[in-house]
Amino acid sequence: MASRPTVTVISADGSASEQTHPLPEVFKAPIRPDIVQTVHTGMAKNKRQPYAVSEKAGHQTSAESWGTGRAVARIPRVSGGGTHRAGQAAFGNMCRSGRMFAPTKVWRKWHQKINLNQKRFATVSALAASSSPALLMARGHQVSTVPEVPLVVSSSAFTDSAIVKTSAALALLRAVGAGPDVEKVKNSRKLRAGKGKLRGRRHRQRRGPLVVYSPEEDGKDLVRAFRNIPGVETSSVYALNLLQLAPGGHLGRFIVWTSSAFAALDKIYGTTTEASALKKDFLLPSALISQPDLPKLINSSEVQAVLRPVKGGSITKRAVVQKKNPLRNMQVLLRLNPYAAQYKKEKLGQQKVEQDKPAPMPEAFGTMLHEN
Amino acid sequence: MVAAKKHITIVKKRTAPFKRHQSDRFMRVGESWRKPKGIDNRVRRRFKGQAAMPKIGYGSNKRTRHMMPSGHKAFLVNNIRDVDLLLMHNRTHAAEISHAVSSRKRIEIIARAKQLGVKVTNGKAKVTTES
Amino acid sequence: MASNMSSDLIWECTRGQSAFLCKRKSAGGVQFSRDPLNLVNKHSRKYDGFLSDKAIGINSSDKSIVLTTKKADKANKPASLLQTSSFKATTPARNLYRSIVNSTVKNGYRADLRAEAVSRASAIKRSQRPVRADRVTKARGAKARKEKEVSSE
Repeated sequence: MASRPTVTVISADGSASEQTHPLPEVFKAPIRPDIVQTVHTGMAKNKRQPYAVSEKAGHQTSAESWGTGRAVARIPRVSGGGTHRAGQAAFGNMCRSGRMFAPTKVWRKWHQKINLNQKRFATVSALAASSSPALLMARGHQVSTVPEVPLVVSSSAFTDSAIVKTSAALALLRAVGAGPDVEKVKNSRKLRAGKGKLRGRRHRQRRGPLVVYSPEEDGKDLVRAFRNIPGVETSSVYALNLLQLAPGGHLGRFIVWTSSAFAALDKIYGTTTEASALKKDFLLPSALISQPDLPKLINSSEVQAVLRPVKGGSITKRAVVQKKNPLRNMQVLLRLNPYAAQYKKEKLGQQKVEQDKPAPMPEAFGTMLHEN
Repeated sequence: MVAAKKHITIVKKRTAPFKRHQSDRFMRVGESWRKPKGIDNRVRRRFKGQAAMPKIGYGSNKRTRHMMPSGHKAFLVNNIRDVDLLLMHNRTHAAEISHAVSSRKRIEIIARAKQLGVKVTNGKAKVTTES
Repeated sequence: MASNMSSDLIWECTRGQSAFLCKRKSAGGVQFSRDPLNLVNKHSRKYDGFLSDKAIGINSSDKSIVLTTKKADKANKPASLLQTSSFKATTPARNLYRSIVNSTVKNGYRADLRAEAVSRASAIKRSQRPVRADRVTKARGAKARKEKEVSSE
């Protein structure tokens, strides 16, 4: 797993150009799904439209409970007479024209404040994750035709408003291998289940590639060219948004970089030691361990050299093991009684005890015994 | 179809359902189990002669849990892609076609399952007709 | 793979949710994997191929068996990442297993997956055999009597 210092820049026709670009330091930032997730849940709440029912709803009547003793429930009842409304229950959430249960309040906290440093950490982390093809595939992006991840397309493809028409934009995406991902989005468009259909969220579809450009060099024409391709989003490299970099809080968005945007990354995010030029007081977070590959770490000669050898090795008595019957299990018997091998080999167990017949009694003994 | 992998005998410690207390006395009280919460409830206090309450001791052996009598575990399947997942598991899992799948697609799913040797638990539903 | 990436990290990111993961509530919450580089379709660190540097995939594509391996040095180049070789359906089983094992395990490539590779190849081979038709079951009881009546008329 050698570190890749450079990334090839892909030209507009999809072939690798001779240009390369060193991998910006952002891509070496630690990947923390937990931080990305919490920041995402917070940020996703910040576009909500507040709503609440009227403070007075359901309470614009002078209802009073009748109390006990009239064989009706003790719910407040509308006073007076001369109308059907009189004597009907009011106020309760179970009542007709009563208030709702736990009426929504205007002072509900709709938006979340997220610490700036956390937001930056999450963005950086999501960017770093976007350089791993495995994470892209696990997010569901079709990247098997992409020549390299991160995918950097030469900015010359965008200069002089080369990409103004959607057809040109689509052709470019197809050329650089992002075609299947766009196709996937197109086929994924489905009617939404539930009431959301009536509330301006009629369809659900997947997310496709995110095109990140640099507005100064690439111009802003490409935004209009890309915006009608389903699933494809565009973002300026100076205004990257976590909701686009990690949709749903899941790491690994497929990003198509223009080369000028890619080049700007080091300026925007700086390094772990040099402060960023554009973000105030921001240093890239550094990883807690420089080698994330744990087996490699454990098997490294440095670690192995200072480990003590296993005590006892194969002959140690194991603490909790199933008991084996030595009379049935030869190996266990041998452990207890090494002589058993020889005993078995010589078939001592099968041999008859060598014994002469007892000598016959002398005759005198018999006669003496049967004397009387 | 391949027979299921050999397994220890499935023992069900109890086959009768746990019925909700007093579901036999009132129409409005359904049979599905609800834990009695009342302070004086005799079922909750486990008096002699009362209905038994579910508890963890009735659980099946971990090795036979979720197992059908055939020795397979049911895996819900919506399309052919799901059946293909069972290629290496046809001795432990059986496919169960999701209820909303049409009979045309069911036929394809069943055919694929047959190729892979995967048992389909509801292979006759919506496909065969009673004459 | 960049210096901050490792298979273990990717596994920790994707073990809870992933496009390959197929979860079911039935059967005690089984978790299968749709990853084509997964030999037993099981969602686990060992078997999921998309996250490891080296992985073996054996899949069927109409009447042939395709062996896919990952080139470890092309981890960041998805278009040239996979190497495939296909075997005809007529390849004898033993030759098939031997060539799969020779080209992977014997080359020091995922020796831990030897048994799984062979058994998957065998399972695919079995699935490509022509399907035997169902045996016609003899009708019994009332149905049999009814059939008899119909045939005697």
